[in-house]
Amino acid sequence: MSSKITAAIIDDEKLAQDLVENYLKRHDNVEVIAKCNNGYEGLKIINEKKPDLIFLDIQMPKINGFEMLELIDNPPVIIFSTAFDNFALKAFEVNATDYLLKPYSEERFDEALAKAIAQLKNKEENTGKIKSLIEHIDENPEYLDRVVVKNNQKISIIAVEDLLYLEAQDDYVMLKTKESKHLKQKTMKYFEAHLNPKDFVRTHRSYIVRLEFIKEIELFEKDTYKAVLHDGTKIPVSKNGYDKLKDLFK
Amino acid sequence: MINPFLKSTTRFSAYLVIWFAVSVIQLFTLYIILGMDFYYALADSLVFNILYLGIGISLWFPTKFISFENYSVFKIFLNHSISAIVTSGVWVMSGYFILIQVFGVEGFAEEFLYKSLVWRFLIGLLFYSIIVSLNYVIIYYTNFQEKILKESELKALVKESELKTLKYQINPHFVFNSLNSISSLTITSPKSAQEMTIKLSNFLRYTLSKNEKQKHKLKEEINNVKLYLDIEKIRFNDKFEYSETLSDECKEIEVPSMILQPLFENAIKHGVYESVDAVKIKLICKNEDGYLKITVENEFDPEAISKKGEGIGLSNIQNRLKLIYNQDNLLTIRKSGRTFSANIYIPSEGAKK
Repeated sequence: MSSKITAAIIDDEKLAQDLVENYLKRHDNVEVIAKCNNGYEGLKIINEKKPDLIFLDIQMPKINGFEMLELIDNPPVIIFSTAFDNFALKAFEVNATDYLLKPYSEERFDEALAKAIAQLKNKEENTGKIKSLIEHIDENPEYLDRVVVKNNQKISIIAVEDLLYLEAQDDYVMLKTKESKHLKQKTMKYFEAHLNPKDFVRTHRSYIVRLEFIKEIELFEKDTYKAVLHDGTKIPVSKNGYDKLKDLFK
Repeated sequence: MINPFLKSTTRFSAYLVIWFAVSVIQLFTLYIILGMDFYYALADSLVFNILYLGIGISLWFPTKFISFENYSVFKIFLNHSISAIVTSGVWVMSGYFILIQVFGVEGFAEEFLYKSLVWRFLIGLLFYSIIVSLNYVIIYYTNFQEKILKESELKALVKESELKTLKYQINPHFVFNSLNSISSLTITSPKSAQEMTIKLSNFLRYTLSKNEKQKHKLKEEINNVKLYLDIEKIRFNDKFEYSETLSDECKEIEVPSMILQPLFENAIKHGVYESVDAVKIKLICKNEDGYLKITVENEFDPEAISKKGEGIGLSNIQNRLKLIYNQDNLLTIRKSGRTFSANIYIPSEGAKK
């Protein structure tokens, strides 16, 4: 690569940004093109300036580092820089190049940077792997509290407590709340694993419903049922889903 | 367990007094009601009662070894029946022979004594049952008291361990992020790095040295909170403003150690960490109806959907206050618009809600 590697630092603490910037000063081949104070700013910069490399904190206002990554189609090379040691596995799931635990030494930083540069050189080879990797390892038992979605250029944060039901639509999942509908590029399997089963049930291959939102179950045809929701919507219930509901309402 | 009649001088005196009373009653019965010779009546009552006084003390041993825990009721009854018969028999015969041989009782008195042996034997059985029952009651009562004592000790222990689990714990992310800030400052501003190191050290020293049972003057707690806020201020530039309203009188009131810290951490976490704009954090202390009311108030972004688990710190405070002051509802929280406030009520000495 002849041109410089462009980097963005995304961290809500100025001193942490400064440190990364200072460590980068000795590397002439890397240029810091932006410093962002939260996930929103980071998202904007990544979409507009498309940096090659980002240094990303996790805990930030509005949307955290992972949520920001979910909203990016072609993520740059990522080096996490955080004080939380419990997200290392998750970082690996989003194919991060390295995971720096604050505070870290310059040597450790250089090591991560070298890895990132190496990865940038053969980035094309790697990108294909990412998605399948995410699906397979993402079995973090922590349930979601919120989901970030992008509608055109607008970003919405949806509280899980506002979700009424979810419907599979091709590569997307439609999230239905009282006021609106949103599309999220995830699988039903992902949501089934990350929504608290106390609140949500998968009634059908293509549907996950909030239990409280089910008004009644009615027989549709022989051996098939429909769930009538409080807003009048009827959604299909598979044989398997019917058994689950029967257990839950026992 | 030692013999209850010999446990203290008072107990032993009481025992002697009872036997003295019994002797007097016997003396009067013999002398006045039955019209015996006074010298004989005196000798008779003294010999028999002093004998049983000694026997009575030794009856502690059968009571102690024939315990309710180890034997069936039938066995206990059988054992004591045999023991009662033997004791009574020995007692009556010894008294009889002492009176005849030592005091030289003869004639009419000897005849009377001989005739009354059966009655005396029955009285011996009665004495036996009274003393043994009394011993059992005493054993039972002592065990009961010991149990109560043990229970209260256990309760204190449970309370202590509960308090320990509710102990304030330093948030490791705060420490590591602060150290990272220091690391950064060593390059750009060594002087500030030094200041922050000292602040962090002082904060850690205070926090690590406090235990869950101690109380401290409010001003000491506030000083520590300020160290914490100073450090967070260096980390987050001007993302929050702190102000306090409290009288000098309030500053001297004792509060449980590290009770404010979690409230401020909450305020920083939900106010500062989750917000893009600067927020205000306020501390207000005042006396209200026999309570010191401490309010920590922070602005927050109502649109931020924060992670769950925020309740743990608060319910820990609530439980700690309950364990220390034995009162409910010493922590209240209120959310209105952009403001979150947590109130702690510290009862003044002797105040009841």
